Amino acid sequence: MTAKPMDDGAVYYHDSVVRFLVMCSLVWTVLGMSAGVYVAAEMIWPEINFDQPWLSFGRLRALHTNAVIFGFGVSALMATGFYSVQRTCHIPLPTPRLAWTTAIAWQLVILTGGLSLLAGINAGKEYAELEWPFDIVIAVVWILFGIVFFATIARRRIKQIYVSNWFYGGLIIVVAMIHVVNSLAMPATLFKSYSIYAGAQDAIVQWWYGHNAVGFLLTGGFLGMLYYFLPKHADRPIWSYKLSVVAFWAFTYSYIWAGPHHLHFNAIPDWVQNLAVVMSVILLAPSWATMINGIMTVSGAWRKLRTDPALKFIVLSLAFYGLATFEGPMMAIKSVNAVSHFTDWTIGHVHSGALGWNALIVFGTYYFLAPRLVGAKLYSVRLANVHFWLALAGTMIYILAMWGAGVSQGLLWLSLDEFGEPSFSFKDIMASMPPYYLLRLVGGVIFLTGAVLMIFNLYMTMKGRETLRIRPPEVGSVQEPT
Amino acid sequence: MNDKKNNNVHRKGRSIFLLTVLFRPRAVFEDLAQSEPSPYRVFFKFLVWFALLPPLFAYLGGRRDGWYLGAANPLVLSESELRQVSLLYFLVLLVAFVSTAFVSRWMSETYDARRPLGVHMAMVAILAAPVTFGSAIHLYPHVFINLLVLIPALIWAMYLLYAGLPVALGISPERGMLMASSLVGWLLVAFVTLLGITVALWANGLGPSIGA
Repeated sequence: MTAKPMDDGAVYYHDSVVRFLVMCSLVWTVLGMSAGVYVAAEMIWPEINFDQPWLSFGRLRALHTNAVIFGFGVSALMATGFYSVQRTCHIPLPTPRLAWTTAIAWQLVILTGGLSLLAGINAGKEYAELEWPFDIVIAVVWILFGIVFFATIARRRIKQIYVSNWFYGGLIIVVAMIHVVNSLAMPATLFKSYSIYAGAQDAIVQWWYGHNAVGFLLTGGFLGMLYYFLPKHADRPIWSYKLSVVAFWAFTYSYIWAGPHHLHFNAIPDWVQNLAVVMSVILLAPSWATMINGIMTVSGAWRKLRTDPALKFIVLSLAFYGLATFEGPMMAIKSVNAVSHFTDWTIGHVHSGALGWNALIVFGTYYFLAPRLVGAKLYSVRLANVHFWLALAGTMIYILAMWGAGVSQGLLWLSLDEFGEPSFSFKDIMASMPPYYLLRLVGGVIFLTGAVLMIFNLYMTMKGRETLRIRPPEVGSVQEPT
Repeated sequence: MNDKKNNNVHRKGRSIFLLTVLFRPRAVFEDLAQSEPSPYRVFFKFLVWFALLPPLFAYLGGRRDGWYLGAANPLVLSESELRQVSLLYFLVLLVAFVSTAFVSRWMSETYDARRPLGVHMAMVAILAAPVTFGSAIHLYPHVFINLLVLIPALIWAMYLLYAGLPVALGISPERGMLMASSLVGWLLVAFVTLLGITVALWANGLGPSIGA
């Protein structure tokens, strides 16, 4: 399959599939974040499950994480991956039908998978809750994603493979690997299977998967987005290209070892835990190298902020990226983990990354991408600015509430009486948490409100407009044609 | 010229003294843009006191009621432990204020804002003001209630940072936005580092006993 000329004989980028994926990820934004807000409310008022199993925390929480990570996050990564790989290779997707198949199949598997979670079908592995039939379809769709992406790279018209493609490529390969290995299971019925791993091995494989999903999907994949869209926003090259490539390989090498830090003080070998601590701390270097690269790229492009409301989202996302990638290694250190593990501090940490980094960089990218897809100006810059403040306030309220709750929980659980028994029962500690959860709910509602404003803004921008047909530019000698 | 400078320093000092910073922050930042206060003067006149107030409130509140972390019974520290923690709190705040001023001056070179250290110190003082005054809530030592008051104070301080930094340093709002975001990154990391060091020391038995 090669890129077919259109009716006028010219070759154009395939951007309709990008637009479709952007729209789908916006739908998942509302669904996933609303589910998050609802379960946050259930932590305060459990009775709002109305005794309906499908409305219970256990089911809705899995729906929330799957919808935001795999619905919102992966759809955004596919959209931006397809958009950027065409432009960095100077050719349209060579397999447009396969790209459409991937995009539609992915939406269907997340939709049906989400419904299966509501029905109580759950494999019992965090962030890998979908049962074996879905796992197989996910693996197949993911391979299709890889074929579309790497076929474009293989037919590129420029010799060099730009750094964003290394990160997107790393995302595709590593997620395929961890998904297949972690999902290996013996089916018992159509919707029930048993992992082929048992006990401690199961836990280690699960967190090798879980942590590298955070690493290569929520960090690496989104860094691919950053490396393409930040220089585009800023209209200047990345500050240090060399640093970006070194950071990629250092990141890839060190991330893969860090998973067992989720299992500190558990029944896995001590050396495995300690190795995870060391690799987690080393990981800070490549993570921050990218942050510095991003900040220095944008610092010379401040004039763009006057005309580009989207850039500030990316700038702020870098600050939260810096926080999350520092806090993670710190929480992997055993003395800190002794307090933070099993507390809401972890939830706060995850959301400083998920809201502050992942969501903000996607928002910034979409404010840039949507007008360009249809050749129009953003409907309202003012709304985008309001969204910026709502996103910042929502994220800060959320993570501060969880820091307060988490550190209190950790210290109270470690508090012993004169007989060496815990001074406070788990039940008593949790019973005192609703005020913090109310604060978290307020933060979540503010953040969701901002996201809804953005969706309205982007809808009004794209409404009634055709996707632009853009031709790849000629490859000059400076770009080293293949 | 010198008279004018001194007059501006004086005006800036009066602004903070009169709590204008809480109600008319823009005027304070505009004053600061015109003045070059001495770093020692800002340090001794404002920062030391701003660093002293929160530990003092925390000490008084903790001694009277003990800290409620969420459970029914408060965490009551002995007099000596409370003194030790409050002293550390004071020192940490001092280091935080001064280091943030130095980091701000270091970062400002990237954004072409070459103002003396005293201006950065004064800016830190203005940003710290809402949180310092908000820390009066330490007199009621319940962690959640403290969060309820200090979160809006922090968000207000962040707003002041974004709105006031470009005015005080005399750079464009766009460059100011970039530098303010970099400073937010520094503050978040510094805060979480402090949190990490504190709980690690505490978990290893250093610091006050959290037993009954």
